[in-house]
Amino acid sequence: VIGQTAVDLSIELPRGLRLDNPILVASGTFGYGIEYSDVVDIQRLGAICCKGTTLRPRIGNVTPRVTETPAGMLNSIGLQNPGVDAVVRKYSPTWAGWHVPVIVNVAGESIDDYVEVASRLDGVPGVAGIELNISCPNVGKGGLQFAIDADAAGAVTAAVRDVTELPLLVKLSPNVADVRPIARAIEAAGADAITAINTISGIAVGPGRRRPLLGNVYGGLSGPAIKPVALRIVYEVAQVVDIPIIAIGGVAELADVLDFLAVGAIAVQVGTVLFADPTLPVRLIDELAAECRRLGLDSYLPLVGTALPARSSPLTAPSSKGVEYRP
Amino acid sequence: MQLVAAELVESREILPGQWLQAFHAPALTVGPRAGQFVHIRPGDFSGLILRRPFSFNTVDRASGQITIHYRAVGRGTDWFTRLRPGDRVDMLGPLGQPFEVDPHSRHLLLIAGGLGMAGVRMLADDALRAGREVTLLFGAASATEVYPSSLLPDEVEYVVATDDGSLGHAGYVTDLVPAYEGWADQAFACGPLPMLAALARLAAGRSSRLGVASLGRKPGRGSGRAGSPSRTAEPGSPAARRKAFLQVSMEQNMGCAVGACLGCVMMDARGAPQRVCREGPVFASTELDWEAGW
Repeated sequence: VIGQTAVDLSIELPRGLRLDNPILVASGTFGYGIEYSDVVDIQRLGAICCKGTTLRPRIGNVTPRVTETPAGMLNSIGLQNPGVDAVVRKYSPTWAGWHVPVIVNVAGESIDDYVEVASRLDGVPGVAGIELNISCPNVGKGGLQFAIDADAAGAVTAAVRDVTELPLLVKLSPNVADVRPIARAIEAAGADAITAINTISGIAVGPGRRRPLLGNVYGGLSGPAIKPVALRIVYEVAQVVDIPIIAIGGVAELADVLDFLAVGAIAVQVGTVLFADPTLPVRLIDELAAECRRLGLDSYLPLVGTALPARSSPLTAPSSKGVEYRP
Repeated sequence: MQLVAAELVESREILPGQWLQAFHAPALTVGPRAGQFVHIRPGDFSGLILRRPFSFNTVDRASGQITIHYRAVGRGTDWFTRLRPGDRVDMLGPLGQPFEVDPHSRHLLLIAGGLGMAGVRMLADDALRAGREVTLLFGAASATEVYPSSLLPDEVEYVVATDDGSLGHAGYVTDLVPAYEGWADQAFACGPLPMLAALARLAAGRSSRLGVASLGRKPGRGSGRAGSPSRTAEPGSPAARRKAFLQVSMEQNMGCAVGACLGCVMMDARGAPQRVCREGPVFASTELDWEAGW
């Protein structure tokens, strides 16, 4: 268009994962990509992260599974899914015909589970990448979550890395004292990117105050309420890893996208807010391009990392691996 | 399913804390069927981040209006009560599976408990329009919560039960059902879970049509085989509901309402969770596991 800067929002993530733009939809909020197709032009999305997928089918947790909280929601779905073989059979042929890349979110109860699911996804047409949900209890290790221990997080990442050539994203849990050693372990184990954050553990009280509201007692908090926590974690992780970071946590408007880019994210995932506003992700793509034009930029990459201390962008700045950030 | 901007036309508190609201939303008056619902976004986005599901209470194509009926129970529904004529809200719909009336059914028994009226109200209009006879059994705690008969079509036989006996039958609405069971070809219910579970127990076995020959019925359509109502029909399929004596409209906390988040499931009789927003909210009573507790 004459008089306007042509803006290229595309990014190339490691192992050839090319996204048209940095606006993705988060796992668990967009099903398998088909549910919203009546009202959303899904092919315009940067990528779709599908519902968490496990080796065997899971029926999930007892209800109630969701409840609204101030500026957020709690969910305890319990990884209900038909299992990896059914997901591949039912959805991957459809995905293979799509322009938008589909990243399969993978969960497990043991390293063997993750490895088996990843190897069954490797080479499947329509599967563009894997996002590891490591906020699951490691049944063999007393039920401790992989995500809260650097050694366990590194071990599961390395094991999956060994069996797949697919782009490998690993999703950080915010429910830890210090996320940085965990992020470094994940990077060292060969992850291609980090996604942050998963939901924050919380509970709600039920009617009559006789018991917790959710059937599973504990749920994961998401939505705008968690954005400051997500910003803090992306800010911390961006200073200790070199691999790209994809931010998640309450994105509701363009300002949120710009904030996450400023603290070092290369892309964002939209989740809970799209339940209220399904057209938000596609609108954000247009708004981000318009913002770049307003700033006279032909790419959004100069907006990445501007709020980080002494480091402009995780993709272009010199490595700071091993450098501790001390507040 | 579409996203539609709807404008409030009229808002009325028809019973203490219960509201009936009419919206101008012509696009939503073409296509929706009784039992389906809309997911409406509260405009106060400072704290309320989920949409609220409402059954289509009535749909009028001529005026381009739909109505919803709800009780103000929290901050979201409170927000809706403060809407004024001309205010606009964002509606996603129609969503979910509708009631299915068998073409052979002439007598429809509708059973509503409290706010469950909103779940079956539209079916009364549709059935009367198709020349069917409708009896509506309604239960509430007391006379002050009884849905006004002036808001129902004249042709409906309206029978009321109140828990405290202040109006109509003293007792539960389910007490009234046996008297109508012989008359009814099909029954459709919406209300509290214990009421629906009681109705499901009453309806169990009804589909075994002892001694009824399958004369003139086409084989292979699941219609004539005694004792096997829709055994081959998938949960959520129209056939499974059409062949059931009792269809129930279920309620569950919802997130997305389009089947993506899996927040609103009910356990079915085969032990598989079914999405209330997608496979439901209307199910054949025989499809659900009423003992599962979820």
